[in-house]
Amino acid sequence: MVVVKLKPFNEILKILNDYIRITVIGCEIGSGRCMQGGLREAKELAQFLKNNGKEIVDVLTLGGTCIVEKVKKISFKDTDVIVSLACGAGTQVISEEINKPVITGVSTLFIGSDSHKEVFKEYCIACGDCIISTTGSICPIARCPKSLRYGPCGGAINKMCEVNNNTECVWFTIDKKLNDIGKYFSFPEIDFSDYSFSNHPRRFKNEL
Amino acid sequence: MNFSKKLNNGKFIITAEIAPPRGIDTDKILKGIYPLKEYVDAFNITDNQRSMVRASSVVMSKVLLDNGFEPICQFTGRDRNRIGLQSDILGAGIFGIKNILVMTGDFPTLGDEQGAKPVFDVDSLQILKMVKLLQEGKLINGKELNGKPKFNIGAVFNPFAGPEHLQIAKLNKKVELGAKFIQTQPVYDIKTAKYAHEIIEQSGAVPIIGLLPINSLKMANFIKKLNPHSVPDSFLEKLSKAKDPYSYGWEYALNLAQSVTEFGRGIHFMLVGKTEDLAQFIDYLKNDSPYNHKF
Repeated sequence: MVVVKLKPFNEILKILNDYIRITVIGCEIGSGRCMQGGLREAKELAQFLKNNGKEIVDVLTLGGTCIVEKVKKISFKDTDVIVSLACGAGTQVISEEINKPVITGVSTLFIGSDSHKEVFKEYCIACGDCIISTTGSICPIARCPKSLRYGPCGGAINKMCEVNNNTECVWFTIDKKLNDIGKYFSFPEIDFSDYSFSNHPRRFKNEL
Repeated sequence: MNFSKKLNNGKFIITAEIAPPRGIDTDKILKGIYPLKEYVDAFNITDNQRSMVRASSVVMSKVLLDNGFEPICQFTGRDRNRIGLQSDILGAGIFGIKNILVMTGDFPTLGDEQGAKPVFDVDSLQILKMVKLLQEGKLINGKELNGKPKFNIGAVFNPFAGPEHLQIAKLNKKVELGAKFIQTQPVYDIKTAKYAHEIIEQSGAVPIIGLLPINSLKMANFIKKLNPHSVPDSFLEKLSKAKDPYSYGWEYALNLAQSVTEFGRGIHFMLVGKTEDLAQFIDYLKNDSPYNHKF
């Protein structure tokens, strides 16, 4: 899921200075799952805006905001501005499809997990060249600050990462997982990563 | 006998570490290390060590060379991608720099430019492979070089880091990719020094044991924070009671250095301290110590 962080309501209010009639959109896929921008937070934001003199035209969710067909079906009449709590992708889809100003109420953080309730962890940086089948399906590219694909650095002391010392070094996590499933990490031939896979903006043409 | 020859013929090696200036005045540094000229085989020139901005390690290495010192130019993958690194390593070759030391590099948030973009396009192993290719006369992309460099290549090993078997496998890979000598993170007891020496010797490289004299309780706590098991409690206790912690830490490091001469191949002073004292100590090791024949 895409993990987002809700911006402070005051900050959102400031950007809405020129607008009166507002529609707030939440998204249930990422923003809702991490309790930062689902329908519930959209309603809370709407109430705050209302209390501060704004007129709320609608508060809604499309389920997934990055699905173009869904966005196209919505009419935003009587709305001066749309406040989107969807991730960067969803918000841009609204902006592309609807001829109205769109502002975001969140910052998009990363692709991560929601398995830790309050702490969301980055699990994937969408590098475009997935190697996790060789690392116990635990990604060192996303989960090591230096994206080390060929084993740990010399800063892995007491199992912890020297950069974020409240986080286990991912190479310990990988090593344990591989050990648990009766495998081990064997150094492949050292090669140079192809970062052109992740040069943005990226496009993917589905040829299926 | 120079560093290069000593690497190949088994003689005991002494290296020391200096940082380029934060600025452009190199005279002070040169004056500072002058007493060590005849005693230290080569000087590591750090590459923005601990992510703190200093002048270029390549340029400072050239300054040392021009002043009759033997530099080991350090290269990390933190600040340059493969284009920048290949370019600067070839530049080092043009300057006549004979020794390089390769490492992945500290993360920027540990230094004094915490908002800097981390590069890490290539890690230590990939830089070693890069250097191997350059020495064979090719760029990574296969293009032929017009004149190829030749270096004594070094890398690093931290005996305190884990998982142990992965650290050792990585060390072996470094040696396989061309690392001839391995310098360690600072050690503070003979057992760790011996362990590191053996592991590195088994890999086929020349072990050079890192020593960082501790000059205060504050510094000891800093090292302990980085590496909780590296500084023995007994040392800390004596340091905290010492009337002159600087001298105590210094003597401790020198004693350890002497112990390493019994079984080791080299020591690396990560802080030169009082250079006259260090020169005197090395003079003793080379001439009057029981292991003087190793030098």
